[in-house]
Amino acid sequence: MKRNLFSLCCMLAVLLGTALPLAAQTSMSVDIYGPGQRQLNIAQATPVPLAEGQPLPAIAASLNDRIGHNLVYMPFLKQMWENDVLGGLTVDKPTADGIDFKRFQLSRVDLVLTAGWEPRGAEAGDVELRAYEALSGQLLIGKAYSDVRPMHVAEVADRFCAELMRVLTGQGEFFLSEIGYSKKEGENRNIYAVRSTGHSTRRLTNLDGIATAESFSFDGRSMVFTHIGRTTHSLGVWNEAEGTKLVRLKGSAVIGPTYLPDGQIAVTLNLTGNPGIYLLDRDFNVVRPLAEGWGINVSPSFDASGDKMVFTSSRAGNPHIFQMNTRTGEISRITFEGKYNTNPSISPDGRLLTYARLTPEGQRIWMRDLATGAERQISYGPGDDEDPSFAPDGYYVAFASSRTGQWKVYLTTRHGDPAIPVDTGSGEAMSPAWNYKR
Amino acid sequence: MKAALRSLFVVLMIAVMAAAVGCSSKQAKSDAPATDDDAKRRAEEEALRQRQLEEQRRREAAALAAAKEEIGRMIHFDFDKYDLKPEARSVLQAKAQVLKQYSNLKVVVEGHCDERGTEEYNLALGEKRAKSAYEFLVLMGIQGSRLSTVSYGKAKPLDPAKNEAAYAKNRRCEFKVGM
Repeated sequence: MKRNLFSLCCMLAVLLGTALPLAAQTSMSVDIYGPGQRQLNIAQATPVPLAEGQPLPAIAASLNDRIGHNLVYMPFLKQMWENDVLGGLTVDKPTADGIDFKRFQLSRVDLVLTAGWEPRGAEAGDVELRAYEALSGQLLIGKAYSDVRPMHVAEVADRFCAELMRVLTGQGEFFLSEIGYSKKEGENRNIYAVRSTGHSTRRLTNLDGIATAESFSFDGRSMVFTHIGRTTHSLGVWNEAEGTKLVRLKGSAVIGPTYLPDGQIAVTLNLTGNPGIYLLDRDFNVVRPLAEGWGINVSPSFDASGDKMVFTSSRAGNPHIFQMNTRTGEISRITFEGKYNTNPSISPDGRLLTYARLTPEGQRIWMRDLATGAERQISYGPGDDEDPSFAPDGYYVAFASSRTGQWKVYLTTRHGDPAIPVDTGSGEAMSPAWNYKR
Repeated sequence: MKAALRSLFVVLMIAVMAAAVGCSSKQAKSDAPATDDDAKRRAEEEALRQRQLEEQRRREAAALAAAKEEIGRMIHFDFDKYDLKPEARSVLQAKAQVLKQYSNLKVVVEGHCDERGTEEYNLALGEKRAKSAYEFLVLMGIQGSRLSTVSYGKAKPLDPAKNEAAYAKNRRCEFKVGM
């Protein structure tokens, strides 16, 4: 079934082959990295049958709702509702010749989404999803999905929204990616992963003890994490084929292992009496120290080249963020404001840094431009916000927050857009990490 | 002369043998009534020995419990600190004395932090706290092979309240005793 669905997705170009070339010419583009993020008004038309007189399958409304749910993850889109649009959200047909674009233009709608259905039995159907530029009537995206059943709704919505975001911003992998997190289960904590839009949860580890501080390899096939047993720490290693194993490393601490782009691992070990950051090869042997010395050195994060590493160090007294050129070994201090700055995550292009700062109101997430030194707060609690993690697109930021009284994972963007909770089910969830589809 | 000595020896031997027979017959006569008393006495002695053993066991168990309680006494730290305060040193000195008495005991030193601050930094801070206690005990003469350390960071607070009193309780080392 999945294979059919996915193969149909791939047949899009055959069915609606002009979509991508048209997208390249559209004026509907948003610079999500720019300082003033543009916001477009988007109207999601009520689904219609592809052939006149046909009934709509029951899942037409489900898919519409799910796409609406996904639009929330794109803060550069403002959803227009029934009362916002002159004459409502109806269209005669899902194609341009069945859309009264003038009504949408008068209502200041920039984008119109349509869904046309052909039923297949009681619960399934074939659907064609389109996005039009309201002003020109130009088709930006067209996608067809065959034999869509209730179990496919979230996946179809994600795939369509990935295309929509890609056409508008050049990025869309967010909708196809997973967020890993450490979930509390009684005295234990284990690693789970969920799609970024909050479905298809899967358990990755099933261990006694605490599994946390996970990091996915750049190819998404492996994951490493800290495991805290009754008497010692271990390096947890997971991959799709072999499952989970625990690797004992020298010393008593294994904290925050992080994959480098080349598949090596940086991790904090205590080999000298002070927790320092060391480079491990693919067989988990220590290759060399990256940052060691007096005090605590922890939480390495690398840009996409692997040349820049940011980390937390107490070498100056209080914990602050430092940057290291991994080629030269040169280390410079980044944060001077505040007394407690931890958990750095650097954007893949190496330009931005996000981190947690302890304020009188609790931990808050901050964003800093590494070139100019300008910084600003991007989360506002209440409770504590910590563990920010840049998505590999450099746009989204996942973090953990106790704002509801329970630790949960949330999403924001580099601009500090309102936080959206990630559906991790019941129980506390923290330590978010991205597993991106590249 | 020789014959006279031989006769005397024979007489003496007979006398000795007669005396021996006489004693054994007296003993045989007194055995029957003495069996119950002896059994009673032996039972009493056995019960006494059991009571003494039980008492000894209790004393040793109480001493071991006291030793474990002493070893298990926590030490506390200031915020974002891992240096040992004077009261922590006193506690560790007492621990070291007990550990010297009970050389079969092993200890896991757990480092813990309060909820402020982030997970990974607190795991490293808890590690430093556990190592501070470990190194002090080693300096006091406790073999390193009897000690191990593990940091839980802020994962296991004793008091979940969000105030300074709770934070102070949670910034600690715990000492878990094993054999």
